[in-house]
Amino acid sequence: MISLPMSRILSIVVTLAMLVAVCAVFLYAPTERQMGDVQRIFYFHVSAALSAATAYFLVFLGSVQYLRTRADRWDRFAKVSAELGIAFSAFVLFSGPLWARPIWGVFWRWEPRLTTMLITFTIYVAYLMVRSYGEPGERTQRFAAVVGIVAFVNVPLVHYSINMWAADQQLHPPKVELDPAMLYTKLICYFTFACLFTLLMRLRLQQERQAARLEALSRRTQQ
Amino acid sequence: MSAVPSTWAHTRILLRKDLVAEWRTKERLSPMVFFVLLVLLVFNFGFELGGAALWEIGPGVLWTSFVFASLFGLQRTFAAEGANDCLDGLLAAPVERGALYLAKMLGNVLFLLGVELLTLPMFGLFFNLTPGLYLLPLFVVFLLGSASVASIGTLFAAMAGHSRLREFLLPLLVLPMLIPALISCVAATGVILEGGIPGRGTELWPAELTVHVGMLGLFAVVFTTLAWMLFDFVIEE
Repeated sequence: MISLPMSRILSIVVTLAMLVAVCAVFLYAPTERQMGDVQRIFYFHVSAALSAATAYFLVFLGSVQYLRTRADRWDRFAKVSAELGIAFSAFVLFSGPLWARPIWGVFWRWEPRLTTMLITFTIYVAYLMVRSYGEPGERTQRFAAVVGIVAFVNVPLVHYSINMWAADQQLHPPKVELDPAMLYTKLICYFTFACLFTLLMRLRLQQERQAARLEALSRRTQQ
Repeated sequence: MSAVPSTWAHTRILLRKDLVAEWRTKERLSPMVFFVLLVLLVFNFGFELGGAALWEIGPGVLWTSFVFASLFGLQRTFAAEGANDCLDGLLAAPVERGALYLAKMLGNVLFLLGVELLTLPMFGLFFNLTPGLYLLPLFVVFLLGSASVASIGTLFAAMAGHSRLREFLLPLLVLPMLIPALISCVAATGVILEGGIPGRGTELWPAELTVHVGMLGLFAVVFTTLAWMLFDFVIEE
């Protein structure tokens, strides 16, 4: 298998990139004028949010492909993506309140983007529950794919309706012109998280593939 | 020969079967109506209701009760087909899967609508709702709200029987996915109920209503279409 050295290379890249990112966030990027040091959490917060959004799209992709091809690998792909999406969303939901406490004065507000993230998070937790509480096999995989597709179509509706519901609560900082150093730091963090995402994805897919092979083997030996 | 009339004909036959069965057994409507009554009672003791509460939390109370009651009703969508392997018989018959979904979904819409219309007077009584023509748009909201709940609810109800979670699965899937529709239902109902505030202009269709009803319609159409397309994958054996 050629995939192992690739993963090893990737893990070295992630380690180095993470070190660079941490240094950039804390040493290189200038302190934001209004929010102060706490703004630095944004570099990771936004990167994680982007990773989560990517993951949810990949769940959709894997689900559609599974229903079309019925290949187990697409099912594993969707499952692993959902896990990563939940992990990154959890980080977003954790880092958000840490930033909100000094800035908004409270940990939580029913602010549109925060609320959208929370609802999306619960939808994908339900998706994983469909998987883990179903009898293992083809039917559960089909069910999961159907839920994966419906869930993704729902995301824009959730986003839109919550914006309507709490339009006066919009408290996320609007788009601003960034200092070049801030921009570079942001891009470094995006790159780091993209590498981390790819690495985790590869490792989990490998694990799942091996688990499937092991199960096939043990089934064959039992016969 | 076009496929469209035959799908619709199948849908009508299947729907009639379910309605006749319900008419004879009353297994779903009566418990659901009674359940809404009980939830309204619980809310009454949870909050001090009365007077201004109607506009403050009335729409929320109403839709929370409806959604919880509908979860019980949706649970039963395919339950009757379990006895004597009726579902297998249906699937073996030359009936389009899409027609089966549409029939079950429309049946759910009718049941939910029935529950909503039957319990509205109770809600009105407990919350001192002033009857009047301004309540008419509520029927549109009820219809589209029921269609939204039924669209995804019918799809997921077909899965619930096969999970170890059983009756847990449906609420876990339906509740978070329903949030956009729920927001619109509550907002639209709020706009309508405010028409009962003395001294308010008595417009039959307040302008703010359009955006909420539009959102609700969008939700119902998108998910009915999507679920109709995906239903084949859920019940294929």
